[in-house]
Amino acid sequence: MQGGSSGIGYGLKYQARCISDVKADTDHTSFLTGTLSLREENEVHLIRLSSGGTELICEGLFSHPNEIWDLASCPFDQRIFSTVFSTGESYGAAIWQIPELYGQLNSPQLERIASLDAHARKINCVLWWPSGRHDKLISIDDENLFLWTLDCSKKTAQVQSKQSSGMLHYLSGGAWDPHDINAVATTCESSVQFWDLRTMKKTNAVERAHIRNANYDMKNNHILVTAEDESGIHIWDLRKPKSPVKELPGHTHWTWAVSCNPEYDGLILSAGTDSTVNLWLAPTSAEEEATSESIAEPPAQHADPLLNSYSDYEDSVYGLAWSSREPWMFASLSYDGRVVVESVRPFLSRRVGVS
Amino acid sequence: MGAEDNVPLDDKARRMRDLLSSFYAPDPSTNNAPSNPGTLDAINTSSFDADQYMNLLMQKSNLDELLQRHVEMAAEIKNIDTDLQMLVYENYSKFISATDAIKRMKSNIVGMEANMEELLDKIMSVQSKSDGVNTSLFEKRENIEKLHRTRNLLRKVQFIYDLPTRLGKCIESEAYVDAVKFYTGALPIFKAYGDSSFQDCKQASEEAISIIVKNLQGKLFSDSESIQARAEAAVLLKQLDFPVDSLPVKLLEKLEQSLGDLQLKTDDIENASMEPNDPKLGKVPDSVHIMAHEGSIRGFAEAISAYRVIFPDSEGHLIKLAQDLVVKHFETVEQCVKGRISCANLLVVLRTIWTDVLLMDEVLSEAVLPEFSLEAAQNALKQHVASTFNYLLHDISDVLLRVNVSSKEAAEENPLQVALEASKKALLQGSMDVLLDFRQLLDDDLGLLVQLRDFVSDWVQEGFQDFFRALYDRFFLLSGRKSSSSQDQGLTAGAHGEKVLAGLVLVLSQLSVFIEQTAIPRITEEIAASFPGGGARGYENGPAFVPGVMCRIFRSAGERLLHHYINMRTQKVSTLLRKRFTTPNWVKHKEPREVHMSVDLFLQELKETASDVKQILPQGLERKHRRTDSNGSTASSRSNQLRDDKTNRSNTHRARSQLLETHLAKLFKQKVEIFTKVEHTQESVVTTTVKLCLKSLQEFVRLRTFNRSGFQQIQLDIQFLRTPLKETVEDEAALDFLLDEVIVAASERCLDPIPLEPPILDRLIQAKLAKWNEKNPITP
Repeated sequence: MQGGSSGIGYGLKYQARCISDVKADTDHTSFLTGTLSLREENEVHLIRLSSGGTELICEGLFSHPNEIWDLASCPFDQRIFSTVFSTGESYGAAIWQIPELYGQLNSPQLERIASLDAHARKINCVLWWPSGRHDKLISIDDENLFLWTLDCSKKTAQVQSKQSSGMLHYLSGGAWDPHDINAVATTCESSVQFWDLRTMKKTNAVERAHIRNANYDMKNNHILVTAEDESGIHIWDLRKPKSPVKELPGHTHWTWAVSCNPEYDGLILSAGTDSTVNLWLAPTSAEEEATSESIAEPPAQHADPLLNSYSDYEDSVYGLAWSSREPWMFASLSYDGRVVVESVRPFLSRRVGVS
Repeated sequence: MGAEDNVPLDDKARRMRDLLSSFYAPDPSTNNAPSNPGTLDAINTSSFDADQYMNLLMQKSNLDELLQRHVEMAAEIKNIDTDLQMLVYENYSKFISATDAIKRMKSNIVGMEANMEELLDKIMSVQSKSDGVNTSLFEKRENIEKLHRTRNLLRKVQFIYDLPTRLGKCIESEAYVDAVKFYTGALPIFKAYGDSSFQDCKQASEEAISIIVKNLQGKLFSDSESIQARAEAAVLLKQLDFPVDSLPVKLLEKLEQSLGDLQLKTDDIENASMEPNDPKLGKVPDSVHIMAHEGSIRGFAEAISAYRVIFPDSEGHLIKLAQDLVVKHFETVEQCVKGRISCANLLVVLRTIWTDVLLMDEVLSEAVLPEFSLEAAQNALKQHVASTFNYLLHDISDVLLRVNVSSKEAAEENPLQVALEASKKALLQGSMDVLLDFRQLLDDDLGLLVQLRDFVSDWVQEGFQDFFRALYDRFFLLSGRKSSSSQDQGLTAGAHGEKVLAGLVLVLSQLSVFIEQTAIPRITEEIAASFPGGGARGYENGPAFVPGVMCRIFRSAGERLLHHYINMRTQKVSTLLRKRFTTPNWVKHKEPREVHMSVDLFLQELKETASDVKQILPQGLERKHRRTDSNGSTASSRSNQLRDDKTNRSNTHRARSQLLETHLAKLFKQKVEIFTKVEHTQESVVTTTVKLCLKSLQEFVRLRTFNRSGFQQIQLDIQFLRTPLKETVEDEAALDFLLDEVIVAASERCLDPIPLEPPILDRLIQAKLAKWNEKNPITP
């Protein structure tokens, strides 16, 4: 599974945790990433894959006031993104706009469109609706779920509604259902909870401990993939929340992040603290299930769902993002600040059935 | 060479024949298939055109070939000429001989006619003379015939008049056969003249016959009479036109009742199964019982044969009866199989059944009882094999589940070891017993089993295959890894009701290794030795028991279970650490006063793991030299010094260069492989557990922000961990690396990373060590 490093590298100056695909940029494959340095001046990098696909070019370098714990690009405006940051003692979240660039790289200032400053607790993440233009934003802190109305032109963000997750449920993150504008999943210590944004009520829950990350399948409705500390990756059909549809072994240590491919069915990336990124193929459609469920065959005969393991990292990998423009490319970010963009093309044709 | 020579020769001969036949053939069109005149082969056809052929030849061939062709052709022409000549000569000689024969015939025929006419005259005179004799004797012959007829009639009349008395005599002497014969003989006459001349006679003999019928009926239904006699009676009754159809039904009912007594009772079989346990007492009554059973079956068989003679129509009914009996037999067998029954007992039962079947088959071969019972026995044996394996599986899981209970009580010293040994024994002993048991089935020369021998060895092999597969599933079920939805709901509930013990998982893992390395080879050997390949299964399906596949499955199972065990252990530590890192406010941490108690808990957990592991797993082969004799404090303070240098330096520099430095350090340091393959040894498991826990610790640290005191607390905790961990872990380099990583991570996440002064650090650690030793007296 080793293979030489085929990826294209890019180094950040400091440690970093988060990377995001710039979905609104339809002309280039670009990613946004921000550094995590407690005592230094942090930066946001706009990275673009060169047209030949051989190099990563820094398109913009902006200073950011605090260390960045979460970063998400706006899915309908390539110049807008959100960050969650921390000063060490306090937390904040903001929406930023990249100033117009005129080819010069003189570290222009980011323009702060809005601050999401209604939080009293540690903020975990800010979510955009992944499927298109929507004027709402979600931010999640340890205890609360906030729904914001964002007006970019007026540069305001207002709390539309807010819901506490309830006692003893410390939220750790979340995901917004790309198929349903009103459905959001939040992860907490012992379960994944599902919310209806219209009523701000809990609709459903999957009981599962230590979920690190959750990701909706972009192609298939009702499919949610979760990454757990020790017990690997689970794929859930939300109509049957009792037990997972599939189980993947995950990583040697914790499975930190998981991401479904926006284009190819069943293609899943996971990043782990064992300094590897794993590429899985785990289709969940019904007929697939029927064929693979032949009990007569010994379990060893099943095709290994692990397509490839990228292990050319020096440190834990926390950041993971598929490119939505070129869905066979993904970017990964290890803690030491190294961005690696890889193509999964070599593994596609064989099993996924895509030329 | 020979072949090459032959081909052209044959070719030539064939062509010759064709030519000749075409010469003699009446119709030239039936000649061989017309071939294209444009090719060289056209020479043999009727449409052969010499000029065209020549042209073609000239065009196609070079000089050599032409020459060769020429030589060939000349030779062929010569051959054909001689053949033709020979044929002409032969024909000519045949003609000559034919004309000779015709000439001879002509001369022979000339004198025959006169002789024939003479013969005719003589025959005519013979005929006229014989006619004369016939007519002269005719009258006398008619007379004699008439007298003879009268005499016969008179004799019959006499017989009829005598009939009543004769019947009376017969009744007296019980010669019913004769009586019936006489009566039936006279019956046509009674029918014709009974109303007129022989009325008295008829009445008297009918009375006598009614007595006979009564007697016969009595005989038929009396059990004391022999079967033969009864059969005779039935036959006679039938001859007397008595309505006998109702009789067989009644009799068969009786037979059916007697069948009830013949059934094997489950109690009997259980008695039989008691026998081996209690050889002194059980055997005698049992064999007596079997003897009695055999006797009654023999009686039954006789009855059947008699009935067949008496009532030929009742065969279908009898067949059904016999089959019912066999079916009932096998039903009881199946019941026994459902319970736990050893092969020996099963054999006893089968043998009884088989003798019964053979006895019945002798008299009723139409019922195809052997085939019938063969099929039934096949099913029964199959079930038996399946249930035996099922019980074995239950035994093993029972033993394993006992671990859960016993280790909870913690009464024993090494519960895991005991459990492992017990389950190993249960598995190996159990499967050996099973094999031995089945071996009996094979060795027995019972006709029934001989035919099934191939099947049995296939079933046993298949049984093992399925058994191991089921065992595999059961292992994962017990380990709680699979939330199995398919089978064994009851057991799932049982296993999930209480939390699965980590120790059990370790036992299962070790058991898997044992199965792979010892049990399967042993069983394979045993099977190869005593169950010579079935073959009935057919080769396309492959052998029934594939040890290679099973070994592979269990190897992977062993690894998975081991990983699962480590996972369970690390999960516990993770929970511990998670609490440790989420509860305090690290940014407002107070100055460290002592090593945090979570470290104790961590070490406690490790100790548990180590004790689990020590009970079951073998020691690794290459053991590193362990510093057991150094008391740890000096070593720790020394390494302490080194670390302080580093952290001090990095502190004075800016953090950025610190990061660079760690990166550089990483570059030059050999990349430490943290996550190596786990082996089934004590050290490997403990080391992996520790590594995973430390990695988790690092990740938790990275998620926090610390003030100076928080950082110092971490530093203190880690520093304290260093010594005890080194004593348990084999890979010191990786351990050092990971511990350093934790401290680096903490300093990176610290707002003000100033480490503790070494003397303070040392003092705090000493204090903790003293406390630690007080609590846990050093165990050798």
